Amino acid sequence: MTGTTKYAVFGRRNEGDDTLHLGTVSAHSDRLAKTYAYNTYDEEDWNYLAVVREEDLLEVEHGNVRREVPQ
Amino acid sequence: MSEWPAAAVDYVQAITDTKLVLGHRYAQWSLAGPSLEDDIGGSSAAQEEVGHVRQLFRKLESQGRDGDWLRGDRDPEEFANASCLDAIDGDWTAYMATIAPVDRAAWYMLDAIDREDMEGMITKMGEDEYFHLEYHDARLETLAAEDPETLQSTLEETIPSALALVGPEGLDDDPLVDAGFTNQSVADVRERFIDHYRDLFAETDVSLEGVDWDAPDADAWDETRRRVGEGGVRAEDLVQIRGERNAEFAIE
Repeated sequence: MTGTTKYAVFGRRNEGDDTLHLGTVSAHSDRLAKTYAYNTYDEEDWNYLAVVREEDLLEVEHGNVRREVPQ
Repeated sequence: MSEWPAAAVDYVQAITDTKLVLGHRYAQWSLAGPSLEDDIGGSSAAQEEVGHVRQLFRKLESQGRDGDWLRGDRDPEEFANASCLDAIDGDWTAYMATIAPVDRAAWYMLDAIDREDMEGMITKMGEDEYFHLEYHDARLETLAAEDPETLQSTLEETIPSALALVGPEGLDDDPLVDAGFTNQSVADVRERFIDHYRDLFAETDVSLEGVDWDAPDADAWDETRRRVGEGGVRAEDLVQIRGERNAEFAIE
């Protein structure tokens, strides 16, 4: 498939449970990504199912302030 | 279950036969999609449509329809499926532009039924149909950008066929509404259907100006098969619908 965006899929079995990363789908639009996620990850009766564009995930980067300490 | 008016039995038969052939079309195309996600969506829809058919067969049997006849022991001309499902000879765009309006029309007709003893079944089917129709519209939006010519030319054929399934405009009264079987008239369902597709393609490269929105011609309309003209599914489709090649494994 060309011209698609990769989406991370998240699901929660019951209210209060942790939201789990289930996998990914590739889609041409947000609307299509939601239907793909619903059909592809239908092994559970999810209480909550969501997709996030992978480009919108914000990485929590490691750092080390020690580098900024003057020698 | 109380007896339905004869016109209501034909109405539900047309919805059921459309879903029956639709389920087979989904299955036939379910490994031909442009992505695994499309294949999974098609396979899932096939399973759900056949499940709906099984439920609807029970309702029709309770109204006197023969079970073997319902399950395929009949000629193609006795099926009341939407005419555009008789054969899909085009590519994947043509396939999507065929199944989408038909699935939506069949759902609107089902949704119009106002029977307490069918309420739970139809509500459950509505949960499945939500994702069928969302998927179709999302796919039609992307195809409107990728392949507008094929989409437009196919919709010019398939939307009138779906409108014939719903019924002709201009009927002075709707016997199913009068009988209390439905609470939305054919005119209401047509308007809902037409408005939906006009809105969906309004901002796209697909023009629906060539669609015959007045179809079908009421004088030429077959009210039992809910179509104009002859025709029906092909012999090879009937073999599949009947399960003839695997009949020896049927569980009695």
